[in-house]
Amino acid sequence: MEILCSREDFLTGVNTVQRAVPTKNTLPILQGIKLKASDNKLWFEATDLELSIRCYLPVTIHGEGEVVLPAKLFSEIVRKLPDSDLKIVSDDHNVNIYYNNSNFAVNGFDPEEFPEIAEITSEDPIVLPSALFKDMIKQTIFACAVDESRPVFTGLLLHIDKENILLIATDTHRLAFTSSVIPGNEKEFKGIIPAKTMNEIYRLLDDEEVLTIKYNKSRVIFEFGSVQILTRLIEGQFPNYKQVIPQSCNTKILVDGKKFLDTVERASLLSRDNYLKTNTVRFSVENSAIIINQHSEMGKISEQIEIEQEGEDFTISFNAKYITDVLKVINTEQVIMEASGSYSPVVFRPVSDDSYLYLALPLRN
Amino acid sequence: MGQLYQAISEVEENIAKLLNEVRSLKQYVEYLEEENVKLKRQLCAVSEADTARVQKNAARIQKEAQENLEKLYNEGFHVCHIYFGEPLEGSCLFCNAFLRKD
Repeated sequence: MEILCSREDFLTGVNTVQRAVPTKNTLPILQGIKLKASDNKLWFEATDLELSIRCYLPVTIHGEGEVVLPAKLFSEIVRKLPDSDLKIVSDDHNVNIYYNNSNFAVNGFDPEEFPEIAEITSEDPIVLPSALFKDMIKQTIFACAVDESRPVFTGLLLHIDKENILLIATDTHRLAFTSSVIPGNEKEFKGIIPAKTMNEIYRLLDDEEVLTIKYNKSRVIFEFGSVQILTRLIEGQFPNYKQVIPQSCNTKILVDGKKFLDTVERASLLSRDNYLKTNTVRFSVENSAIIINQHSEMGKISEQIEIEQEGEDFTISFNAKYITDVLKVINTEQVIMEASGSYSPVVFRPVSDDSYLYLALPLRN
Repeated sequence: MGQLYQAISEVEENIAKLLNEVRSLKQYVEYLEEENVKLKRQLCAVSEADTARVQKNAARIQKEAQENLEKLYNEGFHVCHIYFGEPLEGSCLFCNAFLRKD
């Protein structure tokens, strides 16, 4: 293999695929990034066998071929190279990077050992605008579970039913739901996409691009620009999320989202390091105001926010993160909160927008 | 001519089979109708007091079951079908919905 390209292009390729390189110790070959030069394209590939990312760059190719280089070392080298044109020449499993009048030789792996990332051939893929999908990911992904004991909760349920698209995430303590419309779509898809994959899509997707989704029973491929993200679907049944959404409430309030977010963030400063590590924020809703009186060994905060209130007063405790996470992604100035006492889930919605809903359970003191 | 005769014979056999099935279904329907009449008679024989007693008993059992599940949840165990019996960390939307529904 012999190619010519700029250091900047090379860095883009490495940065794009590097997150698919497993961080835990697995097969040594998976610690590598595969470079494949063919048809005037230089392909970069990395996989942890669950998530695979590949992308290509248009380069000048003098000799086709492929090579696998250790990802960590290789990315460090590329980052530290001077900003100049590079000539990359492979010799057996090893690579020589020529820059200015210098040369860096890297020992690689046998490319034959690198797992083949199987294609998904779909004649009729789902096509949707990137900006829409990015927004949907942003509004839901934070509600996924980090704990891997129940894999279904570490992913987001993507349900495309003709023109309707839904994205749902829950860690059983809270749930985020968003829906939108893909005009003219006739296809259907339902599967649990790992949060890690969604994170990568969010990171790499440009708002102006068009996203294409190809799928089979166990895997999905997301294509945009010169990037392809392939992922295995999480197996298992996503629980019936509709049953947890309360159909009525005792109190409905309308609050300025930014003011409430700032107040909760200030109050959580006093509870962040308490011995329970619950980051609890306790507030009362009474006489058309949210009242926070929080104190700890470190200090005391008293704040009051004017709200519009319908229904009974109540006092409630939350993990502050459960409130701040959602207030950061709701786009409207005013936020609706629907509650039924101190122990039932509270629903957060943007004003005049039924497409988004978030609910969280309060802490039981 | 032979082929046509054979085809007609096959149709004849199929019709005979269908007829047999209809006959056995008819017998089964007769049996179900008899049983239905019998059950209706039994139901009429049950007094209102008995009905009330059974309903009260069912409500008591249901209330006890609900209380036991709430107790279990409050003691820190899941009662939802996803994690049933496992230790609870904080609270669970699905347990909450399950208890609320009942």
